[in-house]
Amino acid sequence: MGSSVGDAAAPPLPPPPVGLAVALPPKAEDKSERKVDYLNLPCPVPFEEIQREALMSLKPELFEGLRFDFTKGLNQKFSLSHSVFMGSVEVPSPSSGAIKVPTAHYEFGANFLDPKLMLIGRVLTDGRLNARVKCDLTDNLTLKINAQLTNEPHFSQGMFNFDYKSKDFRAQYQMGNNAFYGANYIQSVTPNLSLGSEVFWLGHQRKSGIGFAARYNTDKMVATAQVASTGIVALSYVQKVSEKVSLASDFMYNSMTRDVISSFGYDYILRQCRLRGKLDSNGCVAAFLEERLNMGVNFILSAEIDHQKKDYKFGFGMTVGE
Amino acid sequence: MASRVSSKGKGKAARGSRGSDGRSTARCVKTWSTWAMKKAKVITHYGFIPLIIIIGMNSEPKPQLSQLLSPV
Repeated sequence: MGSSVGDAAAPPLPPPPVGLAVALPPKAEDKSERKVDYLNLPCPVPFEEIQREALMSLKPELFEGLRFDFTKGLNQKFSLSHSVFMGSVEVPSPSSGAIKVPTAHYEFGANFLDPKLMLIGRVLTDGRLNARVKCDLTDNLTLKINAQLTNEPHFSQGMFNFDYKSKDFRAQYQMGNNAFYGANYIQSVTPNLSLGSEVFWLGHQRKSGIGFAARYNTDKMVATAQVASTGIVALSYVQKVSEKVSLASDFMYNSMTRDVISSFGYDYILRQCRLRGKLDSNGCVAAFLEERLNMGVNFILSAEIDHQKKDYKFGFGMTVGE
Repeated sequence: MASRVSSKGKGKAARGSRGSDGRSTARCVKTWSTWAMKKAKVITHYGFIPLIIIIGMNSEPKPQLSQLLSPV
């Protein structure tokens, strides 16, 4: 049976599976047998995105109030966005932590997305401008500019980043206002492990710092660790339980303020919705739901309950357009 | 020795005047660069979004002006 079909094909081909072998799933390729080619390691993720899976699952954009976003595409590359927000925003105040300030604003934005050039601009009703530029100067060198400009003097911020991406390492140089200079470097050490470090220098306050980071990822999990001389230790672990579910946990310790916080969360990516929930060591429970009502129409619910501080935040909104 | 002292003195005086020139040049550069940064900030603040719109309206396929203003 099998051998005759095998003869019809070229002799080196193995005979097609028969009997039980057809019913069972094919054995996965034995990866441990493949020798590691240390000269052909994959490119690591950028240093600032080292914890991106954990941040995506554990830190959704929780809000309180009403949010409505409308994105209108005029072109494949060009789109305009209108966004309305009415609700409370937490403003850090020196006296008692953060205070809630009721705000309402309309934000107009324009995006131009090209493979080589990306321009994103958002302007609010109070005159604040959020600008992001990403430009591929060459195949390996990228320039990124991030700026928040305000009408009030001395409150504007800007940052220039030069990224260099090579076969198995990435290097970045940053320059910001207030004489901020930083550089970071990340290198793939094995196909699963990448190590990086960063240094920064704040000119006006004469402060400098150095930090180290490590990221270990396989198909099913990502574990990261970050230590900085500012006294921050951050660990995170994300496990992809299945195609639709991933669980994440995160631990942060600040040795200057002796502050410890740990959180555990889940991320369900289903066909019609995306549900993210998280539980904190401060006793804070949060959830964020994005439900797809129709093509391009999403309904958003956000909730954050903190029994200790008696802070209850509920928000709802709608996103129209891609 | 006296000539050496006098030459040293003259050298110091010359260096002193060159030093003050250097300081005033640095101050000029700093003043101009601050002025340039302030102008650049104002230009970016008002012109960034119009720049994106101009670049977008000139990209292929060209969208219509009515599409820019209408909410549909």
